[in-house]
Amino acid sequence: MRNFIKIVALALVLALALCLAVIAGDYGPWYFAWLVGTAMIVLVAAAGAVLYEAQEGARGTTREE
Amino acid sequence: MINPTVVELSRLQFALTALYHFLFVPLTLGLSVLLAAMETVYVITGKPLYKEMTQFWGRLFGINFAIGVATGLTMEFEFGTNWSMYSHFVGDVFGTPLAIEGLMAFFMESTFVGLMFFGWERLSKPAHLAVTYLVALGSNLSALWILIANGFMQDPVGARFDPNTMRMEFTNFGALVFNDDAQAKFVHTTIAGFVTAAMFVMGVSAFYLLRRQHRGFAARSFRIAALFGLISSLAVVTLGDALGRLDYLLQRPKLAAIEGLWHTTTPPYAPEKIFAIPDDETQRDIVSIGVPYVLTPLVTHSWTTSIPGIDALERAAKPKIVKGIAAVTALEAYAKTKSPAALAAFRKYENDMGYGLLAERFAPEEDLNKIAKRDLPSIVNRTARATIPNVFVEFWSFRLMVALGFAFIVVFAFAAYWSLKNELEKHPWVLKVAMWSIPLPVLVCEYGWIVAEAGRQPWSVYGWLPTFTSASTHSVGYMVFSLLGFVTLYSAFIAAELYLMFKYARLGPGYRGTAAEAVAPPPAHGQPGYADRPWE
Repeated sequence: MRNFIKIVALALVLALALCLAVIAGDYGPWYFAWLVGTAMIVLVAAAGAVLYEAQEGARGTTREE
Repeated sequence: MINPTVVELSRLQFALTALYHFLFVPLTLGLSVLLAAMETVYVITGKPLYKEMTQFWGRLFGINFAIGVATGLTMEFEFGTNWSMYSHFVGDVFGTPLAIEGLMAFFMESTFVGLMFFGWERLSKPAHLAVTYLVALGSNLSALWILIANGFMQDPVGARFDPNTMRMEFTNFGALVFNDDAQAKFVHTTIAGFVTAAMFVMGVSAFYLLRRQHRGFAARSFRIAALFGLISSLAVVTLGDALGRLDYLLQRPKLAAIEGLWHTTTPPYAPEKIFAIPDDETQRDIVSIGVPYVLTPLVTHSWTTSIPGIDALERAAKPKIVKGIAAVTALEAYAKTKSPAALAAFRKYENDMGYGLLAERFAPEEDLNKIAKRDLPSIVNRTARATIPNVFVEFWSFRLMVALGFAFIVVFAFAAYWSLKNELEKHPWVLKVAMWSIPLPVLVCEYGWIVAEAGRQPWSVYGWLPTFTSASTHSVGYMVFSLLGFVTLYSAFIAAELYLMFKYARLGPGYRGTAAEAVAPPPAHGQPGYADRPWE
C-alpha cells in the first residue's frame, strides 16, 4: 500500500511537471529554459563534487596498492 | 511647473539606491542555488564535509541576505515618495507584481531562510534539502516579480490608459507575466547572479588554497563553483543576445545608443564598434574602431537587414510627437469638458500620448496649449533629440559588461579544467585570478543595470510616461537631504557587509573560536580555534 501511494504521488508530480513544461514552454520559453537550465547547472556542479570524491577514492586506492 | 533639478536629483537618488541594492542581490540569487547544489552533494554522499560547506557558505549568504533586504526595502517606498506621478499613472499595474513579490516570494524566502539556518538538527536530511531549495526558489521568485514589474516599464503590455482615471489599468495579467522582456531579463539577471556567486565561492576558496588552509574543503568548493560558473557564464551570453534582439525589436533608440549608431547601417558591412568615443553633443564619434560584417548578423540575425541609426530614429519620432501633442491637448480638453469630441480626438492619437508628454518639457511654461505655431518645429526637434538615451553611457556600460562577461568564461574554463585535473595548486595564477576577480561580476551586474535603465530614458514607462513627468514635486533641499542620508546609510551597509564578509571568510569553515581570534593570524591545523577536520 505504501509503495502504491508513493507511485501515485510520483505520478502526480510527473503530471504536474509535464503540465508545467507544456504551459511554460508555450507561453514562457525563457522561464522554462531557466527551470531546466538551473536544474542542469545544479546537477553538473554536484556531479563535479561527486567526481572529486571518486578521484580522491581512486587516489587512496592507488596509494594503498 | 516641474523643477528639472528635482527630477535629476530623484533620478540620481533612485539610481544610487538601486545600484547600492544591486551590490547584494546577485550574490543572494546565486549563492542560494549554489547552497542547494552543495547540500545535494551532502545528501547524496552523506559526507559531513558538504554539510559544513553548506553551513559555511550559508553563513556568508545570511550576512549578504540580511543587508541586501535592508537596502531593498527603501526602494519600494521611493516609488511613492519621489515618483508619485509615476505611482499614480501605473500603480494599478506596477503595484501588483511588487505586492506579489512582497507577499509571496519574499515571505517564502524569509521563512525558509530561518528554517535553513536553524533546522539542521530539527529536520531530516531530505527535508532540510527541500528547505534549501525553497530558499533558492524564493530568492529567485523575488527577482522574478521585480523583473516582471521592470518588464512593464521597458515594454508596457497588458494594460491600457484610461482617460477618465488618468492612469494605466490592467487588461491582461498573463501578458504582464509572460512579457518577453521580463522573461529574458529574469533569466539573464538570475544567471548573472549565479556567475557572481560562483566567482565569490571560487575566489574565497582560491584564497584558502593559496594560503594552504582548509585545502580539502576549498578544493571541493572550488570544483563546485567552477563548474557552476562555467555553465552559468555561457548561459548569460545566450540571454544577453536574446535581450539585444528584444531591444532591436522593441527599443531601437536603446540599441542605437548601445552600438553607437549615429546613422542607419549598410548591411552586411556594418562594423561592430570595439572602441569609440561617442560625443552626444555633436552626434558623432571622436574616434572609432570596429570589426566589419559583425553587427548586422549579431543584432538582426540576418545579412541583409539594416539597423536604423539615431538620425533616422529622431526623424521617425517627429510625427509621433506632433500626434502626441494633439493627444495630450485633447486629453486636457476632455478632463475639463468630458466632451465626446475631445475623447474621440484623444483616442485618435492616444498611442502617441507619451511623446506629447515628453514635449511638455520644451513647451512654454510646460503647457502644450501655449506652443505658438512658429515654435512647433523647434519644439518637435528638441523633443525628438530627447528620445535618444545617452550614447556614451550606453556604449561603454555595454562594452565593459560584455568584455568582462567573456573574460569570466575564460577564467571559469581554466578554473574548471585544472580543478577537474586536481592540479589547481600547480597553477597558482588561476587561483590568484579567481581571488582578484571576486568583485568583477558585481561590477558587471551594475553595468548591466545601467545599460537597461539608462537605455530606457527618457521614459519611465517606455513610450507612455516620460521620466521628467514622473517625479514628485519635492524641494531641492529635501532631495539633497534625503540623498545624502541614503548615501551615508547605504555606505554604512556596504562597510558592514565588507567587514562581516572578510571577517567570516577569514574565520574559515572549521572555526569554532571567538570573533576576536578571527583578526589574528590563522592558527595552524590542530591548534585551538579549529575543529578537528579529517579532510584537511
